[in-house]
Amino acid sequence: MMVLRRLLRKRWVLGVVFGLSLIYFLTSTLKQEERTIRDRTLLEVRDPDHRIPWKVRFNLGNSSRQITQCRNSIQGKTLLTDELGYVCERKDLLVNGCCNINAPSTRQYICKSCLANGCCSIYEYCVSCCLQPDKQPLLERFLNRAAEGFQNLFTAVEDHFELCLAKCRTSSQSVQHENTYRNPQAKYCYGESPPELLPV
Amino acid sequence: MEPLEGTKSDSDHAPDQEPLPSNSASNCSQLTLKLEFSSKVVEHEYIVAFTGYFSAKARSLYISSALRNAADRALEWHVVPRENPASDFPSDFELVHIRQASARSLLTLEDHPYIKRVTPQRKVFRSLKYIPSPEAAAPCNATRGTQKWQSWQSSRPFRRTSLSLGAGFWHATGRHSSRRLLRAIPRHVAQILQADVLWQMGHTGSGVKVAVFDTGLSEKHPHFKNVKERTNWTNEKTLDDGLGHGTFVAGVIASMRECQGFAPDSELHIFRVFTNNQVHDGKIEIKQITDGNFNEQGSHRVGKVWELTANRVIMVSAIGNDGPLYGTLNNPADQMDVIGVGGIDFEDNIARFSSRGMTTWELPGGYGRVKPDIVTYGSGVRGSGMKEGCRSLSGTSVASPVVAGAVTLLASTVLNRELVNPASMKQALIASARRLPGVNMFEQGHGKLDLIRAYQILNSYRPQASLSPSYIDLTECPYMWPYCSQPIYYGGMPTIVNVTILNGMGVTGRIIDKPVWQPYLPQNGDHMDVAVSYSPVLWPWAGYLAVSISVAKKAASWEGIAQGHVMVTVASPAENDSEVGGELTSTVKLPIKVKIVPTPPRSKRVLWDQYHNLRYPPGYFPRDNLRMKNDPLDWNGDHIHTNFRDMYQHLRSMGYFVEVLGAPITCFDASQYGTLLMVDSEEEYFPEEITKLRRDIDNGLSLIIFSDWYNTSVMRKVKFYDENTRQWWMPDTGGANVPALNDLISVWGMAFSDGLYEGDFTLADHDMYYASGCSIARFPEDGIVIAKNLKDQGTPPPQNTPHLLKKGRKRERKKEGRERRREKERKKGGRKEERKEEEGKDKPPSLSCVFLPCRSFHSFTCVCGLVCVCGLVCVCGLVCVWFSVCVWFSVCGLVCVCVV
Repeated sequence: MMVLRRLLRKRWVLGVVFGLSLIYFLTSTLKQEERTIRDRTLLEVRDPDHRIPWKVRFNLGNSSRQITQCRNSIQGKTLLTDELGYVCERKDLLVNGCCNINAPSTRQYICKSCLANGCCSIYEYCVSCCLQPDKQPLLERFLNRAAEGFQNLFTAVEDHFELCLAKCRTSSQSVQHENTYRNPQAKYCYGESPPELLPV
Repeated sequence: MEPLEGTKSDSDHAPDQEPLPSNSASNCSQLTLKLEFSSKVVEHEYIVAFTGYFSAKARSLYISSALRNAADRALEWHVVPRENPASDFPSDFELVHIRQASARSLLTLEDHPYIKRVTPQRKVFRSLKYIPSPEAAAPCNATRGTQKWQSWQSSRPFRRTSLSLGAGFWHATGRHSSRRLLRAIPRHVAQILQADVLWQMGHTGSGVKVAVFDTGLSEKHPHFKNVKERTNWTNEKTLDDGLGHGTFVAGVIASMRECQGFAPDSELHIFRVFTNNQVHDGKIEIKQITDGNFNEQGSHRVGKVWELTANRVIMVSAIGNDGPLYGTLNNPADQMDVIGVGGIDFEDNIARFSSRGMTTWELPGGYGRVKPDIVTYGSGVRGSGMKEGCRSLSGTSVASPVVAGAVTLLASTVLNRELVNPASMKQALIASARRLPGVNMFEQGHGKLDLIRAYQILNSYRPQASLSPSYIDLTECPYMWPYCSQPIYYGGMPTIVNVTILNGMGVTGRIIDKPVWQPYLPQNGDHMDVAVSYSPVLWPWAGYLAVSISVAKKAASWEGIAQGHVMVTVASPAENDSEVGGELTSTVKLPIKVKIVPTPPRSKRVLWDQYHNLRYPPGYFPRDNLRMKNDPLDWNGDHIHTNFRDMYQHLRSMGYFVEVLGAPITCFDASQYGTLLMVDSEEEYFPEEITKLRRDIDNGLSLIIFSDWYNTSVMRKVKFYDENTRQWWMPDTGGANVPALNDLISVWGMAFSDGLYEGDFTLADHDMYYASGCSIARFPEDGIVIAKNLKDQGTPPPQNTPHLLKKGRKRERKKEGRERRREKERKKGGRKEERKEEEGKDKPPSLSCVFLPCRSFHSFTCVCGLVCVCGLVCVCGLVCVWFSVCVWFSVCGLVCVCVV
């Protein structure tokens, strides 16, 4: 044991050990790098030619369309958005899941609390704003470009309403360093860009 | 993040679906089971019990020798033969047939030294009768009046067992503690929990979607038939499980062969969210995905979980593997809307590793909630192996899929899936859970999962609100520990019980008309004052009701029990009501029972300062004990009822009354207390507090301070690089905020140093270990110091003059804190390595080298971290100075060379 220790204190032994470690370290780091590159190219090869077959069908902005059952945003603390883009209070929800459009506080396609970059502070308004018919080009652009990183999520989406529900949710894009919201005031975004990073 | 299993009931389930092909009578429990017992003596047969276990031959020998001494030698007897394999083993009784046995001959038998007693053999008859119940005519879903299964008001221990469905032998909690049949316990957890009863009714989890957030699942695993979806959310390009944890979890929920899961027909959605590196193999511990923002409002993770449950996803999560220390609950299992699951072993003991203690969000002003919600088997449970076959694992992340599987199976038994939501499921689970005897509520929650009873409750469920805990009995020990350990008295800090309101009526709700306190006058209810505060909105599915109990002035010298109740009415929008704006309401009663004693004398009253103990660290606080290198972050807020509970118990056993101060020092009447206790405080003191404390001490208050280490150069060295946030974290204080403490005590001419010492000492015959701490730098001449020289752990060159440190920069702190999952491995290696380094340190500047195998990548206790912590100059070759490179080193599994 002592011999070993004395041996280890010799400068050249240390040097050799260090040299070997360095070589191993460098080679394995380089190898690792190679591998990540290969993976990345693999991903790229798959994408550009082969467009993701989006299933999304968009509303044509024809809100007078008669509908008997509505899906709605379910989760809200006080507000709900139905699939026609109406935002109402929970108490104004009809049995069929649609908002009661005769209630005084019910509004359609409302962008309250939303900023110019497409980020809102209230989820229900984000969904309603996103359902505006004129947001379709924006969403299509997003699907074709930005959504590649979120394929898992957006290939499951079927129509405009589902797309807006999914798009407005917070995601890894809404956080900085995986632990704080980029902008805690406006974290629900229907737009292409993530929330603007608030200076700390 | 712990592995999560969520279940979502299929909401597009046709409402007019035909009843399941099973026996619908048992579904609706229209038949009442009537049980009768009778027993009679079997003639001529006697059970001879021995004092120990003997072989058949020995037993026969003893009996014959005993009967030889009997007066009438002509006694005709023979041993009734046993025909079972167990008869080969020693036994402690024998069944003997004796014709014409007289009382005297029986007595001679009992005289034998090895015979304990002789009793006549009895036969027990049990008859079962199925009687149609009076409400048999009512259809299953018809209103039978709101059944209030939570409204049990007696505070007697709830240990009712019926022999009907659901009282399986293995459920009997604790009554067989003297004779445990270890070998005979089947390890198939679904069968132990009697899932087969539900399977036989035709419920197998069909139509329920289960999401498993774990390490993935291989594509063609033979145990699964209904994997709907597998997605990968990690940076590793695979969907397969490289570790076996995700497969195991999925297997406990839905395996269909070998080790059967609970719900083989459920739809599995596999989310691969943990890489092989992020899970520590062998310990079944998912590394915490560190999350900085630890208050319930701000954290994105808490928000995400709210979003899930608000969308009717039932979330089940493991409470954590950080036991037996208290106050170690993990997020998200400690959230009100999540079912937090703790682990027990097959003998109904709380598993040692299971996290426990109250939640700590509410400190210092409030008091923690009861968590875990329920416990179930989590030790040595068998589940699917990675590729095939079965394996057995332990951990609360094993217990949580047991509950997730049970929840899946339960959800599939409910015809009207609209009724299944996160709150109603949790209500059913906790109302049906079987309480374990001798375990307090902060360890077992509501008790052990009982699948069959939960099934019965869920299938007669009407939307309603309920409370957890459902009653407050501060006299009930040990279940209501720590409340039951100390009676309340006039002038004491109010006792706060943080009750959770579960609202099964809707995702959002509110409390209408303030909660009403109703004292029971015949039961001295007027001797206590009760105040409540509550969540303005109950969302999602839950809210709090904090009950603060104090003693009325007129009971200042009264002793006795006082009772009363609080009534709460919860309202939710009625979504299936044809009338717009309709509301569902539900009223729940919270019985309260307390023991009041006369106010104890000042000298017996101790006040624990909680206010200056920071709750969930908003900054990075290193451990008090620097030797605990595997887990250098202190994320368990200190509290006398959690990690300092031993101190609490000791003080109580010495007759002291311990109260908790959740407010600044200026907010208490010092003339009522003998001692103020400050342990490891991290927060600073306001000038007003310092002035007041000085005055209080002049007026006879005693002050006990437990300080800790604080050394800026060590703090610089324990900083670490976090791979998640990609930034360096510097500790905000040492183990305690010594500069702040020095500000506080300087007026008496005392000060702590910035040194760092450790060692063993003996005080009053107690052997003690001083882990890491400072020394006393200054003390008044006429004071009494009990001193002992300890080993200097410190790195800074010793300062000649005891100097006071600069004030910490706590208030300006901008960064929100870190939270780190502790790793419980106490590797011997860590210590050994360190000793080596110290040897090397003796002879600077000679070169010495330490070979340290890098153990784990994600914990920053990589070798370099270790060396840095010891305060030695760490240069890993050339590159190690740059920390992330050192991380690379460890990834390669290479030895790291550190030149000291």
